[in-house]
Amino acid sequence: MSGFAAALWAETLKLRRSKILWLTAAGFCILPLVAGLFMIILKDPVAARDMGLISTKAQLSGASADWPGFFGIVTQGIAVAAMILFAINSAWIFGREFADHTIKELMALPTSRGAIVLAKFLLLTAWSLLLALFVFGVGIAVGSMVGIPAWSMELVWDSFLRCILIAALHVCLLPAVALVASMARGYLAPLGWTFLTLALAQIVAALGWGEVFPWSVPVMFSGMAGAHAGTPGWTGVLLVLLTGAAAMLLTMRWWDRN
Amino acid sequence: MSISIELSGVSKSFGPVRAVDRVHLHVGEGELYGFLGRNGAGKTTTIRMLLGMLRADSGTLRILGQPVTANAPGIWSKVGHLVETPAVYPELSVVDHLEMFRRLRGVRDVGAVERICGLLSLGPVLHRKAGALSLGNVQRLGLARALLHRPRVLILDEPSNALDPAGVVEIRDLLLSLVRSEGVTVFMSSHILSEVERTATRIGIIHNGQLVEELDADRIKALRAKKLRIVVRDVDAAILMLRHEGYQPEVGNEPGVVFLGEKRALEAPDSIAVLLVKAGTPPLSLMLEKERLEEHFLRLTEEAA
Repeated sequence: MSGFAAALWAETLKLRRSKILWLTAAGFCILPLVAGLFMIILKDPVAARDMGLISTKAQLSGASADWPGFFGIVTQGIAVAAMILFAINSAWIFGREFADHTIKELMALPTSRGAIVLAKFLLLTAWSLLLALFVFGVGIAVGSMVGIPAWSMELVWDSFLRCILIAALHVCLLPAVALVASMARGYLAPLGWTFLTLALAQIVAALGWGEVFPWSVPVMFSGMAGAHAGTPGWTGVLLVLLTGAAAMLLTMRWWDRN
Repeated sequence: MSISIELSGVSKSFGPVRAVDRVHLHVGEGELYGFLGRNGAGKTTTIRMLLGMLRADSGTLRILGQPVTANAPGIWSKVGHLVETPAVYPELSVVDHLEMFRRLRGVRDVGAVERICGLLSLGPVLHRKAGALSLGNVQRLGLARALLHRPRVLILDEPSNALDPAGVVEIRDLLLSLVRSEGVTVFMSSHILSEVERTATRIGIIHNGQLVEELDADRIKALRAKKLRIVVRDVDAAILMLRHEGYQPEVGNEPGVVFLGEKRALEAPDSIAVLLVKAGTPPLSLMLEKERLEEHFLRLTEEAA
């Protein structure tokens, strides 16, 4: 594809120079910090009673004050927070070109539009997965500082794979956000789309049809939809991959035609 | 002279609005074509179609003999463009922008950025973020991006926008030097008609989506030429006398106004006064003036409207 390396360099430069890189990392860090706070509360319910609402929230989470409970909160948090945060990344990478009118500068270039779109997707994937890794790392540091029991390498590995799988499934669904950002030429519509799919994902999973609704699949893997929703099989994963591939192709076609 | 830019029967509608209507035009290699029109006349739509940013509903567009398509790397490596106010990434510096576009344009020469910064006087703001640049410097940055790869064809929409008078002259001289010394073809729209008048080798006027007139070099030269503006009480008597003496008078739009363009009339307006006195219609005023492109443009577009 003509000029792919140049396009990837350009996209990386824009991200490196932007504040959004640090803002999203800082925003995502709230998740393990909240999980750590929940652990402190759950470890000492008597002292936590004085903390009011946040204490009630922690009690309602049903988690135990140990590493399995901590990872459970982090995993479920990633299932929701990643969907929103990665969508912001996608809306920024694609939507800003329209909102800032820079799209016209990316046309009539020897570097093809397909190469530019592909570079954007590659950067979005790398950025989002690195954020998930970073948050998992911060989670381990926070959990260690809080001092909770039942640590095992097997648990860490299992939780790590679950977090990365959920993040990867979310990444696969990001082309749909990119497509909405491109078609609507801005930021707002893709964010609206994300909140819509987030709400629908919870409802559809709770109704037991999660495996046939791609946006429910990561939620089901996190266990957030409840035990009755089950764990999706290959059908669910395949549907996510097909949705992502179709949205990516449509985004490339849309950039080519408009 | 080979043809660099060619539009044949190009039309584009947005819903019920016909933005560009069967436009035919061609620009030869090394020409500087001025493309004029009022706001909403179809200039930017035409330029966007020419750059593959919009798809024409009908007709064909060619640059350097190749059909214009959205993805045509072969053409775009030889074309530089500036469409309306340049859009910039506010977090990137001037040098970041130019380095990015050097790569996106496939320019191997790493010295190209330094060269273009020198050419467009961007040195003092090289490391300033684009978000902190003045409008004039944003315009220079846009022009630098357009010229970075030494294009054979330049398509510019309002290149002098936001520039101060010295900047306008600088860009005019730069474009003229590119045309004259490097044979670059320039297709340029502008609201500054005096600039177009001074630089263009040909001018096209678009109104309501239609190309209503093309002025060739001779016509532009004629517009630049002075005329003798005569005000008389009896226009018919004045014209009869002047024709009898071998002049070719033109009747002006205002009542009682007659123009003479002949050199002998311009050199000796007193002899014209004598003739008119003999004809019994002495001149109320005699004035040397030139019809500017602006006046011609306004008259033409008002007539078309």
